[in-house]
Amino acid sequence: MLLPYLCFGAALFALGLVGFVTRRNLIIIFLCTEMMFQGIVINLVAFGRYPLAGNAPILDGQVFALFLLVVAAAEAALALALVVLLFRHRPSLDANVWAELKER
Amino acid sequence: MPVVYLILITFGAAGLFLALPGRGQAFGRIGLLMLLGLVAASIAMLLPQLGGLGDRVAFALLAGIGLFGAIRVITHPRPVYSALFFIVLVVAMGGLLVLMNAGFVASALLIIYAGAILVTYLFVIMLAQQGTETAPYDASAREPLWGVLAGFLVLGTLTGHVLSGDAANELAAPAAGVLGTVGDVRPVGELLLTEYVVGVQLAGVLLLAAMVGAVAIAKRQAALQEEAG
Repeated sequence: MLLPYLCFGAALFALGLVGFVTRRNLIIIFLCTEMMFQGIVINLVAFGRYPLAGNAPILDGQVFALFLLVVAAAEAALALALVVLLFRHRPSLDANVWAELKER
Repeated sequence: MPVVYLILITFGAAGLFLALPGRGQAFGRIGLLMLLGLVAASIAMLLPQLGGLGDRVAFALLAGIGLFGAIRVITHPRPVYSALFFIVLVVAMGGLLVLMNAGFVASALLIIYAGAILVTYLFVIMLAQQGTETAPYDASAREPLWGVLAGFLVLGTLTGHVLSGDAANELAAPAAGVLGTVGDVRPVGELLLTEYVVGVQLAGVLLLAAMVGAVAIAKRQAALQEEAG
């Protein structure tokens, strides 16, 4: 009962990770972090619905999922504000444009 | 079983490598087909774990649509379409959450993600990229080989043990009993406002801080523009 949901969550997390590493568009990179959040939401709710010990469902998972939504909303607001700020400096969404910020 | 699993996951990694932008359209199509085959095969392998027929059909449909959306998010060369496919994923996620009797989380997810966050993303994408042609940085991927390898190593580590047989029996056993009703909004709300009331307050503080931060960044932009102009 629990397994299919866990695997779905893991697949979402891995796809988000691949997208985060390989895509070059700043906005898509942030979109991929949101995808990883989705995988975690599924995990939290699934563990609450089919708990490992006992038969009664636990609702704490759903509460955690709601808190995760709050964090995702805050993150999206700040990340998009930063992206727009960067875009005003150099009119491109390419992450490589800012490669000079990394350590050599 | 482990050999089948290894072959499947390598197949999927190859498919994703081909489907990422930069391989050309024909290879991209082949990669997408390979990935869809992998998704169908893994869902078919997982279906016996689920209870009734209705559950199985619903899970197969929703998980298939959701994973297709997720794959298109990271493989589509046009950012606007990526964001739209993310909405497809969110809707499928809502269905899966309803399937797990988490109706309140599902509606919150739909309203906040599909309604608010994704619309903001679309707005910023349309603000930044107003042309019709694909930007060169969207048409190619950065280090696709290593990225795909890392991602599928993570996926293999997360799901490999789970699918190996013993763990499946361990996990499936306790859920066989009677399940209470979790569909109600009331118990979630009661839990939220009794046990986690400090968390709710903190979430409010976090949202306020994020809003102040976003406004501060926007003000800085205005100041920069005045300097430039």
